[in-house]
Amino acid sequence: MNAIIQTKELSRRFGRTEAVRNLSLDVPRGSIFALLGPNGAGKTTTIKMLLNMIRPTGGRATVLGTESTRLGPSEFTRIGYVSENQELPDWMTVQDLIDFCRPMYPSWDQDLCRQLTRQFDLPLSRKIKGFSRGMRIKAALLVSLAYRPELVVLDEPFSGLDALVRDEFMRGLLELSDRTEWTVLVSSHDIDEVERLVDWVGVIDKGSLRVSECTASLEARFRSCQLTLESGGRLPDMLPDSWLLPETVGRTVRFVESVYKEGTGDDFIRTVMPEAREVTVSRMSLKAIFMALARTYRSQGREKEWA
Amino acid sequence: MLPFTVELRTGASVYEQLVYAVQRAIVSNQLSPGDRFPSVRTLSQELRINPNTAQKVVTRLVDQGLLVVQPGVGTLVAQLPESSQKERSELLLREVEQLVVEARRLSLTFDQVVEAVQSHWIRLSEMQPTHEREQVAAEEAVSE
Repeated sequence: MNAIIQTKELSRRFGRTEAVRNLSLDVPRGSIFALLGPNGAGKTTTIKMLLNMIRPTGGRATVLGTESTRLGPSEFTRIGYVSENQELPDWMTVQDLIDFCRPMYPSWDQDLCRQLTRQFDLPLSRKIKGFSRGMRIKAALLVSLAYRPELVVLDEPFSGLDALVRDEFMRGLLELSDRTEWTVLVSSHDIDEVERLVDWVGVIDKGSLRVSECTASLEARFRSCQLTLESGGRLPDMLPDSWLLPETVGRTVRFVESVYKEGTGDDFIRTVMPEAREVTVSRMSLKAIFMALARTYRSQGREKEWA
Repeated sequence: MLPFTVELRTGASVYEQLVYAVQRAIVSNQLSPGDRFPSVRTLSQELRINPNTAQKVVTRLVDQGLLVVQPGVGTLVAQLPESSQKERSELLLREVEQLVVEARRLSLTFDQVVEAVQSHWIRLSEMQPTHEREQVAAEEAVSE
């Protein structure tokens, strides 16, 4: 695979806390990759290591073919970065900010910059100091997209944004798909925010990467299943490991199949439980898959604590 | 703006929703044969969806014979191929099953369901573009 970001056992400790643990990850070139996980899972720490803002305590990462710890000005002209708590020079107007950034980037596209300014409804002559959160993040995105970066890294860009700003943000981001071959890495704790946008998903949980897969493959292998037991029938003691979150309510059994093979119908249930009736096997949304995984990790965590 | 109606819900596959929306637009004549279909880029930007997903939707619709790619022109809405009639009715199997399950859950009678289907059928046919209806009227006038 042609990866624009590649990490090998990337790790970071803060004192005794392992914020990121042996994280091996490939972000394919041309993808919009969502790094998903609850707050505190290690997403921001990972991103900061990728962009050489903090050093790893173990493992390594390459970004645009360069060792992350060696990333410098020439690589940063090819990377756009916007974070949740973006620091911007408050004393500048939007025009000042544009004039300040423009000379640093050889690939600066003034037409795109004008178009985005209009699209984002940003007043050129106003100081950033008085900006709302939404305007601030749009200004940050503006000066991160105007040079058509090959790689855009967004750390929780949508949190706390109202629906309109979020929509403008996405529209602006997609403006890049116009001419540039580009890749996006976006972190989020909420799949709803990014569901439509992404085609590749990494799930990070307590510093470890649990899943890294394209959305089409996730949607193909996960199925929500339901069946009814014969009266007097019961669930076999040993269920396949791939059946996640099995639960029984009366005679109804529900679970999530995680290795479904397209076009096999309900055969995989029939072989385990030939007597099952009213079997339904239905596709799952990305959100439902993400929730099922999150609940599985949580229950696995609990078992470990009890053991 | 897109030339057909689509409202994407969260929590359901964008790909499937969009394929369905276009099929619906074509069946109801909101999109007619020969109409220009939006580019992948336009679809992606207008709907805020992944460009690769938009590409997959177009590829699927081309495979189904609902769209045709004309080099140098763009993507156009195709003439509905007769041979795909069976495939198209198979496409509906799942939806029909859902309808029946829902109807029984709500204790509707068979007749009530048929009636509802009928009124939707008529409503969709009435959405045919006016020029076509005028043409039909003109032909009828000639035959009289």
